[in-house]
Amino acid sequence: MNWELMWDSVPTLLGGVPVTLELVGLALLFGAAVAFAAALLRLSGNPVAERLMAAYVFVFRGTPLLVQIFLIYYGLGQFEAVRGSFLWTFLREPFWCAILALTLNTGAYTSEILRGAILSVPQGQIEAARACGMSRTLLFRRIVLPIAIRQMLPAYGNEVILMVKASSLASTITLLEITGIARKIIAQTFAVFEIFIVAGSIYLLLNFLASRLIRYAEWRMTPYLRARG
Amino acid sequence: MHRHPPTNPNAPEAVIVDNLHKRFGPLEVLKGVSLTAREGDVITLIGSSGSGKSTLLRCINMLEVPDEGRIVIGGEAIGLKKGRGGRTIPADARQVDRLRTRLGMVFQNFNLWTHMTILENVIEAPVHVLGVPKAEAVDRARKLLDKVGILAKADSYPVQLSGGQQQRAAIARALAMQPKVMLFDEPTSALDPELVGEVLLVIRQLAEEGNTMILVTHEMGFAREVASEVVFLHQGRIEEQGPPDRVLVNPESERVRQFLSRHLSNGG
Repeated sequence: MNWELMWDSVPTLLGGVPVTLELVGLALLFGAAVAFAAALLRLSGNPVAERLMAAYVFVFRGTPLLVQIFLIYYGLGQFEAVRGSFLWTFLREPFWCAILALTLNTGAYTSEILRGAILSVPQGQIEAARACGMSRTLLFRRIVLPIAIRQMLPAYGNEVILMVKASSLASTITLLEITGIARKIIAQTFAVFEIFIVAGSIYLLLNFLASRLIRYAEWRMTPYLRARG
Repeated sequence: MHRHPPTNPNAPEAVIVDNLHKRFGPLEVLKGVSLTAREGDVITLIGSSGSGKSTLLRCINMLEVPDEGRIVIGGEAIGLKKGRGGRTIPADARQVDRLRTRLGMVFQNFNLWTHMTILENVIEAPVHVLGVPKAEAVDRARKLLDKVGILAKADSYPVQLSGGQQQRAAIARALAMQPKVMLFDEPTSALDPELVGEVLLVIRQLAEEGNTMILVTHEMGFAREVASEVVFLHQGRIEEQGPPDRVLVNPESERVRQFLSRHLSNGG
């Protein structure tokens, strides 16, 4: 075990943290929007929209993220229509290809988490809101969504952690985030064990902070659960 | 014992239910029920479980949409139309929303919004549905919570309250809309026996203040005291209706008599 090498690699590997955080942060942000739209469409009562969204979820949950990343990065560029369109400014960048894949992937999982949470809002509380004369949109905004978001937080915390780890796959399309930098150092030093231990520790630290953040959000948003007992 | 004054035949009609039919699949729960509540009336709906009394109440504010028949709230008939697959649906969702603001509903299971404090529960609909300024809504909510005896719990969450307190909060929430008619769906059925009294006390006070109310209940003694009219439902039809002293004491129907002998024995 080369301790000195490990210690020296820390600042270099930490240099990958901003890219990892950007990947995760942007994908979670866009993914939340996709998930929100997909969950609503899936509950819309419109059979075409429902099937379309079910197919989206089926495909992106059912295939490996790595395959999705390769398809987007290596695959889309084969089409003249893509290369000719304004999208090409984004899609020729590995960074945005990774963002797109991560977004669509987390969007599929999160839409299912959100859909389940919306469906689990107690019927009685919905009826009480309808009985007061709340319109569908007001009912959704004031009652269903706040309860559903609180309900989904633990499962969503899992999803955030999975995303932090999944972002390491972006290294396969040349991105120098934590894992990408680790592979670069290993190519120069052949210290596979040492460098990956440091890289793994950084992920562990990031996920420790992420789970703390989610737990804090849960604690802040559910005073009524704290109050019980 | 206090008795509610009988129906005033000249009072305006608050709710008219005309020839209501409701089916759940093959089961016809209401088979042509008609009922009129005039202002100041306290109508109690009684009958065995499955008689359709809760369904009737829930049809009045469209939580269940009747298959046939007419409902008139304060002189305004609720528009119904045939939707896809032949099901009856409201013709105008906004009309239903508007009419619901005039009907306060109290549920068997309270149905307070768990993510809001008691005060937030009470001001929610006045502020967001009626557009009452928040300060005014809070002021009114505090008075109502005081009236039902739980002002001290204003900043608590529903889970922190006993069932009786939750139901009183739910009554305050319904009253906050200043409804023309209060609907109670078995308001004490989910409560521990020792908590029933505190809720009935609040409802009795509302009856004595002249509020128009329609309530489904199993509390026969209470029905006799507060009701201006008792309606007995049996298998989706009105079996007998009239002033409580007649229906609950000397019913004409054998079915009502049997029902009462079963219910009066358990303390009603």
